[in-house]
Amino acid sequence: MITLSQRLKRKNDAETVPASRAPIRDRLLVKEAQEMSQMLPSSCSVLYHNENDLSKFVLIVKPTEGYWEGGIFRFDIDVTEEYNMVPPLVKCSTKLWHPNISENGEVCLSLLRKHSVDGMGWSPIRRLNDVVWGLHALFTDLLNFEDPLNVEAADQYRYSQDNFKITVLEYVRNYAKE
Amino acid sequence: MADENENEKMDNENQKPEKMFTLKKWNAVAMWSWDVECDTCAICRVQVMDACLRCQAESKKDSYGKQDCVVVWGECNHSFHYCCMSLWVKQNNRCPLCQQEWSIQRMGK
Ligand SMILES: [Zn+2]
Ligand SMILES: [Zn+2]
Ligand SMILES: [Zn+2]
Repeated sequence: MITLSQRLKRKNDAETVPASRAPIRDRLLVKEAQEMSQMLPSSCSVLYHNENDLSKFVLIVKPTEGYWEGGIFRFDIDVTEEYNMVPPLVKCSTKLWHPNISENGEVCLSLLRKHSVDGMGWSPIRRLNDVVWGLHALFTDLLNFEDPLNVEAADQYRYSQDNFKITVLEYVRNYAKE
Repeated sequence: MADENENEKMDNENQKPEKMFTLKKWNAVAMWSWDVECDTCAICRVQVMDACLRCQAESKKDSYGKQDCVVVWGECNHSFHYCCMSLWVKQNNRCPLCQQEWSIQRMGK
């Protein structure tokens, strides 16, 4: 009897070794989603595809000042099973003119970098709240235009902020309204 | 801890003597963050003296009893669950809290 139950246990263990991290992610998400909703910037809101799945949601940013003021920008956020060892996947589904966001929706934000060379990238101590505030800051701080994703936009900003502003408004009018 | 709180209270009273009520609230927050840095695994956010989130999840699944989930201290004096840290160093061999190169100082409970 003993050996049989031991064998069963061993078998169970072997099966749980490659287990997915999803249950861990989900436990982390219960707390993080709550924290995020409590500390959300006033210009942001969160929309879940499915109330029972905290791992997939849309962040909506409506900047109230700055170049992108008046636009409505949507980010698809996917918290994968390996969270929080890896950052969430973030894609901007609203077309916009921004040095740090490509026209395909790739987002350049240091804390979303999986492999960090400079200590600014992802770390498991970060939370969804940091991601949201980081994305929110893309519309308020115009600090980091080094290494841009949209080179043309970055150059335009560098040479003529007036022209940059005009292009941004054009994109907002065409793509970022309700 | 008690002495430190006393000092903080004094400092704060000098700045804003009229607001006793908010002052108390501020103290509570300060203590909470102190706990987080020293006693909680910053990766899974469970106390380092308890089993990590993963071990908790797995032992629940097969009612396997106690698991050997040990604590690891780095040269930087930051502590984590060994389980959590060994997953993270595979990706980036730095302490998630201070970004120093990670090397183990000791392990245990
Ligand atoms: Zn842990
Ligand atoms: Zn563990
Ligand atoms: Zn450290």
